[in-house]
Amino acid sequence: MRGCVRLYLRAAGEILISLGVVVLGFMAYMYWGTAVREGSAQRTFVSELHQQWGSTGPSFAVLTDPDNLTPGQPFALMRIPRLGRSWQFAVVQGTGLPQLALGPGHVPGSALPGQVGNFAVAGHRVTAGNPFWSLPSLRAGDLVYVETIAGTYEYRVTGKPDLVSADDTAMLSPVPGHPGATPRQRLITLITCDPPWTGTNRIVVTGALVATLPRGPGIEG
Amino acid sequence: MYGWIWRRLPGGTGARLAQMTILAVAVALLLWFLVYPWAAIHLPVDQSGLG
Repeated sequence: MRGCVRLYLRAAGEILISLGVVVLGFMAYMYWGTAVREGSAQRTFVSELHQQWGSTGPSFAVLTDPDNLTPGQPFALMRIPRLGRSWQFAVVQGTGLPQLALGPGHVPGSALPGQVGNFAVAGHRVTAGNPFWSLPSLRAGDLVYVETIAGTYEYRVTGKPDLVSADDTAMLSPVPGHPGATPRQRLITLITCDPPWTGTNRIVVTGALVATLPRGPGIEG
Repeated sequence: MYGWIWRRLPGGTGARLAQMTILAVAVALLLWFLVYPWAAIHLPVDQSGLG
């Protein structure tokens, strides 16, 4: 009888440990596995963009009218030195799951880089290369570079990251926090999930345009 | 559970060890390429898009 209990307990323990390993494996897949597809898409995007920008073909029109952007289309390169020297992502149009799986997405209807209003970009905290994993570490004064066919826009983060609930979209309006107000400033808003692995809240980082540079990395070196 | 499998595998210790390894690798591949991608879509882990 005692041996029987011991046998069941051992089996239950083995199953529980195995399930734990399976769950850990799933987290590893979300963190690294989903980055494989995103990584190959990003490499394609970067070479596509450089090719487009280097040729005399498509004009600035693509960038002055948001309607010309199709969902999933990459149109800008984003660099944030605080997140690492090699931190660079191609920003795609749209923030649906199919777009966010390939890179940070431009919120449709929000301003384009350098325009008056709010250039809003959403990205995954976990999965798809974890682009905004370290977004909460940004501080006032940190620089965000957005390179497009028209030039490189240098934004400076204006405050500490904000925590808002997931259904609060006021931060994405042309004047963040004031839907309907007429924008005068040229702003950028970066948004991701918080806590990681959940969709409970959003971390929001806002910055303002400080310079428009000739097209290029913007960062020295 | 693992003891039960071990006892049902043929061969000596070395052969059993090899078979256990193959089984473990097979399960891992199954999880990584089939189960996890499916779960990633169906579980609400950082899967909130906007708009």
